Amino acid sequence: MSRVWSCLRLWLAATFRRSRLERDMDAELRFHMDTYAEELVRSGVSRSEALRRARIEFGGFEGAKEECRQARGVTFFETLAQDFRFGARTLRKNPGFAIIAVLTLALGIGSTAAVFSVVNAVLLKPLPYPHADRIVMPWWAWPVTDLGDDFPWGQRDFLAFLRQEAAFQSVGAFKPDSFNLTGFGDPIRLDGIKASAGFFPALGVPPLIGRTYTQEEEEPGHELEVVLSHSLWLERFGGDPAVLGRSINLNGLPYNVIGVMPPGFVFPRGEEMPIVLGFPRQAQLWIPNPTPINPAGPQDLAVVGRLKDSVTFEQAFAELTVFGKDREREYPQAAGYYTPRLATLGRQVVGDSRRALLLLLGAVGIVLLIACSNVANLLLARSLLRGKEFTLRSALGAGRGRLLRQLLVENLILSMVGGLIGTLIAWAGVYFAKIFGPSNLPRLHEVTLDLRVFTFALGVACLTGILFGLPPAFAATREGLVEALKERGQSATPSSRLRSILLVSQVALALVLVVAAGLLVRTFYSLLRSEAGFNPSRVFTFQLTLPAGKYPDTDAMARVYHSVLQRLQTAPGVQQVGFSSAVPLGGPPDNTGIRIPDRPVTSVKNTPPTANYLFAAPGYFAAVGTPLLRGREFTESDTLEAQHVTIITSTMAQRYWPGKDALGKQVGVGLTRFPLRTIVGIVADTKHTSLSEKSIPEMYVPYTQNEIHVWPNMQTMQVALRTAMDSSSVLGAVRDALRSVDPDLPIARPATLATLVDESVVQPRFSMLLLAGFGVIALLLASIGMYGVISYSVARRTREIGIRMALGAAPREVLRMVLGQGARLVSVGLAIGLVASFLVARLMTSFLYGVRATDPTTYAAVCALLTFVVLLACYLPARRATRVDPTVALREE
Amino acid sequence: MDQQLGLLQGTLDMLILKAISLGPLHGYGVLLRIQQISKDRLEIQQGSLYPALYRLEHQGWIASEWGESENKRKAKYYRLTAAGKRRLQTETQKWNRMSDVIAGILGAAPEEV
Repeated sequence: MSRVWSCLRLWLAATFRRSRLERDMDAELRFHMDTYAEELVRSGVSRSEALRRARIEFGGFEGAKEECRQARGVTFFETLAQDFRFGARTLRKNPGFAIIAVLTLALGIGSTAAVFSVVNAVLLKPLPYPHADRIVMPWWAWPVTDLGDDFPWGQRDFLAFLRQEAAFQSVGAFKPDSFNLTGFGDPIRLDGIKASAGFFPALGVPPLIGRTYTQEEEEPGHELEVVLSHSLWLERFGGDPAVLGRSINLNGLPYNVIGVMPPGFVFPRGEEMPIVLGFPRQAQLWIPNPTPINPAGPQDLAVVGRLKDSVTFEQAFAELTVFGKDREREYPQAAGYYTPRLATLGRQVVGDSRRALLLLLGAVGIVLLIACSNVANLLLARSLLRGKEFTLRSALGAGRGRLLRQLLVENLILSMVGGLIGTLIAWAGVYFAKIFGPSNLPRLHEVTLDLRVFTFALGVACLTGILFGLPPAFAATREGLVEALKERGQSATPSSRLRSILLVSQVALALVLVVAAGLLVRTFYSLLRSEAGFNPSRVFTFQLTLPAGKYPDTDAMARVYHSVLQRLQTAPGVQQVGFSSAVPLGGPPDNTGIRIPDRPVTSVKNTPPTANYLFAAPGYFAAVGTPLLRGREFTESDTLEAQHVTIITSTMAQRYWPGKDALGKQVGVGLTRFPLRTIVGIVADTKHTSLSEKSIPEMYVPYTQNEIHVWPNMQTMQVALRTAMDSSSVLGAVRDALRSVDPDLPIARPATLATLVDESVVQPRFSMLLLAGFGVIALLLASIGMYGVISYSVARRTREIGIRMALGAAPREVLRMVLGQGARLVSVGLAIGLVASFLVARLMTSFLYGVRATDPTTYAAVCALLTFVVLLACYLPARRATRVDPTVALREE
Repeated sequence: MDQQLGLLQGTLDMLILKAISLGPLHGYGVLLRIQQISKDRLEIQQGSLYPALYRLEHQGWIASEWGESENKRKAKYYRLTAAGKRRLQTETQKWNRMSDVIAGILGAAPEEV
């Protein structure tokens, strides 16, 4: 930046200095003449005669000044300024060309800058934590790949790690929890985090007011303390500092407010954590995670740590590996489950978006390339038309270097103006991306057009101006004198070859982009058509979390759920109602190891079978529209006293009883002290986190048959209602029904099932729309390029066409000749583009769903589309060629 | 000897350097000094003096600054730079050699060839 500024200053100085030098020169020459005239007057000549003689003897005044200017030598910057003025004048004289070139560049630079601003915010800007590069998140990589890569910690493992680790300055474990806040207006459900004492020091963010909690609050009995987020503090407590020390009622328990975090601190954001942990979008409060009396619990903890200054990432990883080995020695049955993974917080936060963003950046880079080669083509055509001017200028003594510089300066003017308009486009793009972009794109809220983006746009503009201006400029000045002296109309000049190369590469690049867009479009539609295992029309869902203090055990919970169900069944407008631990696309369910008597675990290496474990109520499958494939649904008579039953998904049936009928078979949780269940039904698989997820085995258990009690958590259920009318109108009736059961019951995340589906495809839709948009731009630019090249060649060959027609060629033959020229270029471009597309599509496999990277239909359709559009662009000038009047054409020379 | 001589091509620069080497001068002063030394035998086109001065300044042999003239007016004064001094020396030597050679050629008698 400072270099640009110093250049600018020099240039300004040169411009101002110029006028000062002019004044000085004038004064000096006048002094000479006046002094001479005075001397003449002293020798007796009259004043007027003296002045006349002085002028005559001095010689031509203006001529002398011009010679002085030349003698003084003109500086580089002065001629550059001259070039700029001249360039601006020539561009103004040909506004059509200037506008097309500037707009093309603006489109290319603008879209690139917009995508770059997102990349900048998501991938390049440091995280808002002090020394964020020292913050890491350790995970375990389980051999069961169904569950994603990052597997959480168990409380027991974390406590053991705390005792022996030496690499971390501080390290904390945390997990999501939800809280009903009562006593402040309507009961409201808040998303909170249970975090151990090391959590805040690891992130290194001090509270805005008050304090965060310490080791002491981890002791049982001291855990009723809460730290509020800034937004919760403003919304619910009016930003009053007196909130410190007050007691608030969360889940029926009195919590003491001890601190408020600064604005923007909402760690962890749900989209930044592995989806299986079910973190909320933003954390609203933090409470201590007390050490349980029996720490052998589920594996549901995320861990964040800050490395000691002296410890490298590799050393920390080695320590984790050693720790994992220790655990495996202690628990031989868990061999293979303790392979550590260590991610820097930056990597963790960005996650999978990195690849998607790089894909977009690549796509927009292609658009920029096409735009630039288009402008290069325009420049080339124009400089050929300006051949006469160049001949004249070089005949007058302009060197090739000076002509080159003149052309480059003109290109720079174009690309600078293009860059400025492009920045506006980027600004608009960012504005719309923030509104319509996927809300689960990490750090999207941080996207701004900062200095770095602006510099990027400016740099791209300069670079394109020079890189894509040079070849045309060279071509133009090379032809300058020699070509102009010859008769026009040579067919294969170097510059027409250059134009063909540019055009072929445009077609190839456009093909790559449109193929990529086509594959994403097909992915999107196969997502929507995929067997999601439910029918989203007219289904309303919400999340019901019971206040913890009020319903102490699972039997009490089951009773209140039962009355809620009864009230909702009779609510106006409700056709079917049911609930389960997780409705489709309502978030990840719990997963557990299971035992199947038909499939004994034979060795340690043979990993035990696993399945998702969900509660469900009678009527649930009918309410969400999950097809019951075999057997029956749950009924009211499936109680603890009756036979223990389960309904499994078809994937589970196929995986664990392949080729056999699973109905009537036995299955249970891993621990043998709990009884086996009999399979009474088989339902279709449902998707929980995204439409593209791979179905894994799942078993549903009646909520009235929870013999494990402590797990899974029954405090939250997701309710689904199939309604007679528009499903969102049922909210009021639902609220009334809940209030009649217990006025403290809150409604959380009310949404229609269709909305949940929409939200789950926001990111693929966003990528698809962007890429499709880029594809359309690429097609458009390639067609403009083709139109330009063919028009130019028709104009050049007017005489030849005239002769052909005079000799009897039919208009159709002329048409075929011109179209043939276009078709040759297109086919070469398509051939190169196809090869490139195959290579690019292979890199895209992870974005595709339901379509292969080599999908022949897509490739064929895209080739046909591209050929059609580009040949259409050829057709217009070709038709003009058939209208050539031979007599006019021949007289033209 | 009343007739004025036209200036030889390329000698004006040398004369200006010589004139200025005797002390800083403004443009008109340079003209006067050359006429004075040459006893008005050289004819110098007044207007051609200034391009030469600008050229010499651009080449770094003379430098200029604004000062006050004898008639109390602002005038631009030129002085010789170190590079200019060296230049004057080599130019003078070159000229002397050249005039020797030319004089030798012009003075040659038929029997000497």
